[in-house]
Amino acid sequence: MKLTSEEVNSIALESRLVLSEQELAGAVRYINNFLDMLDRFKELDLKDVEPFSFAEALECPLRDDTVVKFNNAGAILNESEHVDGPYFKVPRIMEE
Amino acid sequence: MELYEYNLHDLLEKLNSKEISSKEIFESCKKRIDSCEDKIHAFITRTEDFAKSQLEENENPAGIFAGVPTVIKDNLCTKGIKTTAASKILGEWKPPYDATAWKYLREAGAVLMGKANMDEFAMGNTCGNSAFGATHNPNDISRVPGGSSGGSAAAVSAGYVPFSLGSDTGGSIRQPASYCGVYGLKPTYGMVSRYGLISYGSSLDQIGPFARTVEDLQLVMSVIAKYDPMDSSCFREKTHDFTHSENVSIKGKKIALVKEFQDFTLDAPIAEAMNKIKKILEDEGAVITEVSLPVVSRYAVACYYALAMSEAHTNLERYDGVRYGYTVNDASSLKEMFERVRSYGFGSEVKSRIIAGTCLTEPSRCEEYYVAATKVRTLIAQEFSRAFGEADFILQPVTPSMPPKIGEVDDDEMKGYEADLYTLPVNLAGLPGLSFFTGYSENLPVGLQLIGPRWSDADLLNAGVIIERHTGSPKIPDLN
Repeated sequence: MKLTSEEVNSIALESRLVLSEQELAGAVRYINNFLDMLDRFKELDLKDVEPFSFAEALECPLRDDTVVKFNNAGAILNESEHVDGPYFKVPRIMEE
Repeated sequence: MELYEYNLHDLLEKLNSKEISSKEIFESCKKRIDSCEDKIHAFITRTEDFAKSQLEENENPAGIFAGVPTVIKDNLCTKGIKTTAASKILGEWKPPYDATAWKYLREAGAVLMGKANMDEFAMGNTCGNSAFGATHNPNDISRVPGGSSGGSAAAVSAGYVPFSLGSDTGGSIRQPASYCGVYGLKPTYGMVSRYGLISYGSSLDQIGPFARTVEDLQLVMSVIAKYDPMDSSCFREKTHDFTHSENVSIKGKKIALVKEFQDFTLDAPIAEAMNKIKKILEDEGAVITEVSLPVVSRYAVACYYALAMSEAHTNLERYDGVRYGYTVNDASSLKEMFERVRSYGFGSEVKSRIIAGTCLTEPSRCEEYYVAATKVRTLIAQEFSRAFGEADFILQPVTPSMPPKIGEVDDDEMKGYEADLYTLPVNLAGLPGLSFFTGYSENLPVGLQLIGPRWSDADLLNAGVIIERHTGSPKIPDLN
C-alpha cells in the first residue's frame, strides 16, 4: 500500500524533521519506491527463522568490571552552547 | 622520485636507515597537497599545523609509523580538531577525545595531515553528498572517487599520504578504493574498534585502511586491529598476525565465483579483469570453483537498506542541538529546537533515510519490514557460511560499472542501491573484503574484490600479495 504525503509528513514530524514541499514530494517518492523493494521479503518463508546475531556475540565479553575515574566532564559540557553550571540547559519542555 | 611517491613500507625503510627525515616527508606531502587540492578536494579540514606540532614535539618517536603522514575520514573523532561527518549539523564540533583507531595510529607515531571528505554520515557512494562539496577522482577529475570514504581513497591515490583510514558500512572502503585505484580492506566486523567512529549502522560499520600496496595494508592492520574495551563488538579472544611475507602461496586454495552473479551485466573492463585475475589465480595453483548464493543475490540489497536505515534513524536521534554541534538559541520550546536544528542540519539523503528508518520501525510496520530484514540477514549469513564450507575465498566485482562522471549519477536512488549488491552482503555477514587493483583501462583503474570467512583477514591480504605480484601496484596520477 502506497503512503500518502500526509502519512510521510507525519512520519517526518515524528523524526523531528519539518520538510519543504519539494522535500516532502521527494520523500514520498523515495519511501514508496523503497517499500516496493522491501516487498520482496514476502516471497520468503521466515516463520521459523531467528533474527540475526553474530555467532561470537555469546562469547563477546563485557568490559572488565573495574572502577575507572572519569574526569572529562568539563570538556563534555564545554561542547555545548547551552550550559548552566554542571547541567545542559534546554528550552521549556511542557507546552502551554 | 619525490618522497610523496613512496609507499609506506619503502618510506619506513628509508626513515629507519636515516636516509630521509620525517620533516622531509612532511614537506614533500604538503607540497603535493598544496599543488593538487584545488583539483581534488579530498579534505574537509586540513591539519598540517597539527601534524607539524606532532613532529616538533616528537610525539611518539619509538612508534613504527614515527613521523609518517596520514589522513583519516572525517567521521573519526579527533581530540580538539573539527569533526563533521560531512554534515552541517555537527558544525564546528571539536570532540573531547580521539577515536581508538586514530589513537592507535597516533601512538604508533603517525601525523595527521587532514580530515577527509565523505558522503554525509557515510550515506552515499559518490562522495558528492557532502555539505562541503564534492571530491574528484585523481585518475580523472571529471569522475567521482566513489564513496562514502572518497576523500580518504583520493588522498592515497593522489599521493598526499601513503595510507589513510575510512569506514565501510556497505562498501564505503571497497568501492572508492576500486574507483581510485588503491587497495582497501574492510576488516571482519569486530576486528577494529569503532569507539569514536560517528555511528551510521552500528551492526554494519567497520573501520579499515587504504594504501597503494597490500604490504602497506598489512602494516596498518598490525597497528589498528587490537582489542578495545570501549567497543563491545571488539573481540578480545582473537590474535592476528599481519606480518608481511613474500613466502606465501594459494596453491590448492579453492576460489569461488558466485553462480547467480554470472548473468549480471558488467562493464567490459571489469569483466576482462575478472578473466585476468581468474587466470592469475589458476596459474598460482588455486582451483576456481563456484558457489550458489540465491538469497544474497535477490534479497541482500533490500535487507541491507532496511537495516541500515532503521539503525541510522536511531543513531541520528542524538543530533538535537542540546549537547554539541549546530544549535539555535531562540527556540521557544524543546520541540521547536529539535525541529529547527535537524531540518536545517541534515542534508536531503540523510533526511530520506531517517524518515525511511522511522517508517520501518514503527510498531505497525516493524514486524513486516525491520524484523523480516533481521531474519533475511540470518539466511544471508547462513548462505555465506555454507559457501565458505566449499571454498576458501570468493572472487567478485566491487561494482558493476566504472566510475561515473560527476553529476551523471542516476536520479533513481533504488537503482543506485542495486549497484551496491557486490559490497553490502559482506557487511550483513560481518565478513572481511579486500578491494584490489587489477590494472588500468584507458587510464582508469579497475578493481575487484576478494571475500573470506570471518577472521580470515590476514589470509585475504596474503592472497592480495600474490595477485599484486602479477598486476603491479597502482601509479600516482600526474595531476600537474
